[in-house]
Amino acid sequence: MENVSTTKEKRDWKKTLQQNYSFLVVILMIIIFTILEPSFLNSRNVTNLLSDSAPLMIMAAGMTPVLIMGSIDLSLGSMCSAANVLMLQLMLKMQPSIENPYIIFLLAMLLTLLFGAFGGFILGAIQVKLKVPSFIASLAFMSVWDSVALLISQMPVKIPKAMKMTTNWYKIQLGPIGLPLIIAVGLTLIYHFVMTRTAFGRGIFAIGGNERAARIAGIRVDRYKITVFVLNGVCAALGAMFLLVKANSSAPTVGEAFTLMTISAVVAGGTSLVGGSGSLVKSIVGVFIISIIKNGMNMVGVNVYWQKVVYGIIVLLAVTISTDRTSRSRIVK
Amino acid sequence: MDEKKLLFSARDITKSFYGTQALKGVDLDVYEGEVVGLIGENGAGKSTLLKIIIGVQPQSSGEMTMHGKPFAPSDPMEANREGIGMVFQEQSLIVNLTVGQNLFFGHEKDFSHLGFINWNKMYEESQKVLDEVNCGNINPRKKVLDLNFATRQMVEIAKVVNVTKSGHDDQKCLILLDEPTSVLSEQEVQNLFTEIRKLTAKGHSVIFVSHRLDEVLEISDRVYVYKDGQNAGNMPIAEATEEKLYAAMVGRETTTEYYHLDEQGKAEDDVVLETRDLGLSGVFKHCGIKLHKGEILGIVGVVGSGKEDICSVICGDLKPTSGEIYVKGKKVSYSSPSQALDDGILMIPKERLVEGIVRGLSVAENIALSNAEKLSEHGVVSKGKINAQADEWIDKLRIKTTGRDAELISLSGGNQQKVVFARALASGAEIIILNHPTRGVDVGAKEEIYELIRNVVAEGKSVILLGDTLDECIGMSNRVIVMKDGLITGEFDADADNKPSQVSLVSLMM
Amino acid sequence: MDMAKENQSLTIQEEFARKIKQENRREKIIRWAPVFVLIALIVFFTIARGRAFASVSNLVAILNQWAIPLLVALGLTFVIMLGSIDLSIDGTVGMAGSICSVLVMNTLNDNNFGFLGVLIAILCSVFVGFLVGVIHVKAKVPSFMVSFAFMNICTGIAYISYKGTPATVTDPVLKALPKVSFLGIPFITWVALIMLAICIYIQEFTPFGRYIYAVGTDESIPRSVGVNVDHVKIGVFTFAGFIFGVAGIIGLIRLGQGQAGIGTNLMFPAQAAVVIGGTSLSGGKGGVINTVVGTLIMTVLINGLTMMGIDPNVKTGIQGIIILVAVILTIKRGPTVIAK
Repeated sequence: MENVSTTKEKRDWKKTLQQNYSFLVVILMIIIFTILEPSFLNSRNVTNLLSDSAPLMIMAAGMTPVLIMGSIDLSLGSMCSAANVLMLQLMLKMQPSIENPYIIFLLAMLLTLLFGAFGGFILGAIQVKLKVPSFIASLAFMSVWDSVALLISQMPVKIPKAMKMTTNWYKIQLGPIGLPLIIAVGLTLIYHFVMTRTAFGRGIFAIGGNERAARIAGIRVDRYKITVFVLNGVCAALGAMFLLVKANSSAPTVGEAFTLMTISAVVAGGTSLVGGSGSLVKSIVGVFIISIIKNGMNMVGVNVYWQKVVYGIIVLLAVTISTDRTSRSRIVK
Repeated sequence: MDEKKLLFSARDITKSFYGTQALKGVDLDVYEGEVVGLIGENGAGKSTLLKIIIGVQPQSSGEMTMHGKPFAPSDPMEANREGIGMVFQEQSLIVNLTVGQNLFFGHEKDFSHLGFINWNKMYEESQKVLDEVNCGNINPRKKVLDLNFATRQMVEIAKVVNVTKSGHDDQKCLILLDEPTSVLSEQEVQNLFTEIRKLTAKGHSVIFVSHRLDEVLEISDRVYVYKDGQNAGNMPIAEATEEKLYAAMVGRETTTEYYHLDEQGKAEDDVVLETRDLGLSGVFKHCGIKLHKGEILGIVGVVGSGKEDICSVICGDLKPTSGEIYVKGKKVSYSSPSQALDDGILMIPKERLVEGIVRGLSVAENIALSNAEKLSEHGVVSKGKINAQADEWIDKLRIKTTGRDAELISLSGGNQQKVVFARALASGAEIIILNHPTRGVDVGAKEEIYELIRNVVAEGKSVILLGDTLDECIGMSNRVIVMKDGLITGEFDADADNKPSQVSLVSLMM
Repeated sequence: MDMAKENQSLTIQEEFARKIKQENRREKIIRWAPVFVLIALIVFFTIARGRAFASVSNLVAILNQWAIPLLVALGLTFVIMLGSIDLSIDGTVGMAGSICSVLVMNTLNDNNFGFLGVLIAILCSVFVGFLVGVIHVKAKVPSFMVSFAFMNICTGIAYISYKGTPATVTDPVLKALPKVSFLGIPFITWVALIMLAICIYIQEFTPFGRYIYAVGTDESIPRSVGVNVDHVKIGVFTFAGFIFGVAGIIGLIRLGQGQAGIGTNLMFPAQAAVVIGGTSLSGGKGGVINTVVGTLIMTVLINGLTMMGIDPNVKTGIQGIIILVAVILTIKRGPTVIAK
């Protein structure tokens, strides 16, 4: 009897750690990088780090519900690239006919977000209606969006001087925190609210936990799944807009690194790949883990190529930790 | 009988899973060169016994012998070595390999020479194996994919005979056939029987499990009847008649208290659900069902009779290929269960763990699964309402849980089922399809669930019930429909004081 | 209407039999479809471009373009036959090439390990394949996720091995190899053909080949006869690592310079070739010969499209769409199927 209770306690303890290790990782990272490079914690670097994490956070917000539902999107980065070049090209096209640069910016942004929504819709519909697993459908779309990005513009293009002022908002600071991060966190929290407090969000958790049961219980599985992919596409496009404004220029490969970074951030935050559990707040922490590592490695002077290796290892570690291996008969392909 | 040698025997085998006893002590003897038929209702324990014999799962108590020696296989391979092989209901052939490659799957090394498999040698051996079971006409070089089901079945039997003989040519084998005829046409069944007879002529033995009584009577030398995990009869075929077997299978009479018969109400005249000539290609056909307000309609039939598929169609999970469904006089067509729920139809599924519950979510969230949208104001779901709803149902249905926030998987089977019930009741659905509502639930909880069902219809809701046992279905229902091979074969009124006999239903089911 | 009437008169058993028959017919069509597609493509391009396409010199060109895609797709074939997937290709191939370039005689450092260098590079790739397999099997992480992580890890390692400045190979043997040819077929193509022979041998003449089919069809079947399913899977991923390593060396020889880019854009054509050849992503089906047809389709298609003057940027997109269409045509559907 006693034995049982101790193993149960052990399990509880393990579970608590499994659920909250990401906070510990953040603190640990900060300590390590501060020891290695004391200037890591100075205000300029912190400001830098925080504003750098905004685009990643938006994309992670879009990806988290996708993973909660047990799916994945490997085309996120490519969609981001395509949206990035598309938006600037739209701005350039509208420039002769519309005078007010702000209206141009807003219109181009709106169309780009629509493009993202459209991409997400197609991906979701292919999964839901044609039953193609999301990893393979999104893998195919990775190449499609890469092509689209290169077809729209092969070279990096700068935002013309006449429209530069539309990007000024990106540099607004409220103390150490920049406006982009505030927007990103705000949107993430809104999405978090949607995921936790609406029928839609609760449905997504149920779908991830047991899609068959969710369907039989009368949850609108197909509609919800497509909606998640649409929102994911919108987030990728929004992230692309942030990247465009941040760099003041577009590039057809700008999103390439973000697929891995986003997945790393979400799983490092503690959202499991199996589906059914996770949270957007955790993903915020995950995004900071990735941003701190990226920034810290730069500060310490680690070769930039190591970053890919490190993100890859983070994904492996986080996924391995969060995978439930208790049922032996479960077949993983 | 005396001159025959005992090949296999099982004595007093019991097996319990998670507190429910699937086998309460059954016996089985098989002599050399005979076919033993094994019959019983769903859940009588036939499949469980076969799994124990082949070594997929161990028995809780009891002994088995094979060739006169104690026999306790830890896995199917060990059973094979001792001369026992099983043809599973789902075929276990690798369809993209050839017949020969399947026959010797796992034994390729015996044909390897200098790192190359000698296919010619393997196919020659395969031909011998096929000849042994009188299937010399099957080309061992053909891919299994290109064979029809009956031929595949024979390949499967050849494979089993081959692995069970493994070297000793004169070893007698015992072949277990679990529902081997369910995918076969009449002609193919006859072919199968011919092959079985040739096998037994060589001294091998067969245990034949089937829902089709006529087939069992035709092929078996002796028949065992199991009921509720116990022996209910054992007779040579000469003494067996369909009537005798039916009587042995059903046994005990319906008890008044157990099913709360005094609470059984009368159904109203309004038809809430009607199907006209409903069909699902290759599964069921010409099904016309009427469900009245406040009625419990039982549907009985063996596995594969189509009763579960009808429920899947009505609840929107499958789309029918012919016929119409009317809900309260309105013609409907659903492409998903959510649309059916909009019309007030909800199913409580059979496989609770696979289709019923979401493991990771709490009790409260599982209860709110079907009505989260209704509990929201301006799109925002109120946590308070969800909790209040959970507390209400936990109290009403006496769900034993540490609290509404407990993870559902931590509850016992019966209490999990009550949570699924609570969800259906909370959803506001007026037509509830109960697909084996008492499966895997202990006796006490069963009775509570029966009372619950009575209360549901007393409120004016209607229920379609697929019972776990025939007894249960008759006891609970106002009316019973019998199905066989995808067709409705009978309909009985089942008023509280005038329940149809089980025998009369069984004869229409099998 | 007639059809509906006819259906009415059928018994349930007949309906069932008819359904099975239709499925078999579909199966047969799908089995031969890749060959028809290949023939159709050849006919189409011959009509569209005439002599320019259907010439001996273009045939030789196609055979040369065919070598590396074939090699990579071969490695992927067994993995997909298991029902798993390997996305690490771009990384592993680039890594093997890059590591080899800094170990043999080169412009970046004083190493001169010669053949040993080649061997070490291939072993690195084999080890990565082994790791992918072990983590996938033992930690029960889906293969796409493990291999996706390794794609990035290996690309990183490739860059790190030459620290940003690609090394040009000066090893005389490696430099000479691209020009070597035997029976008119260049060395590179020979390597691909030898690997093809090895793969056919594994698939057709070893127990291991049978086990790959079995694991892909239903893991419980091989398990029930005592086959160690985990070992089969790890073996397949390790073998894929070996082939990707060889592909990396070939890429290096061809380019003369070691860089992560050797592997870039190899994965999509390989995935597309394997699935369009008829090896289904759900496993247990297809095989090496299917991949040969699939890679020929992809090579002819790209060759033909290039001749027709199509924007090279569209090529990747087309590969993605081909993967998608091939999967959509072969995948199981129905209201109760769950796709994650």
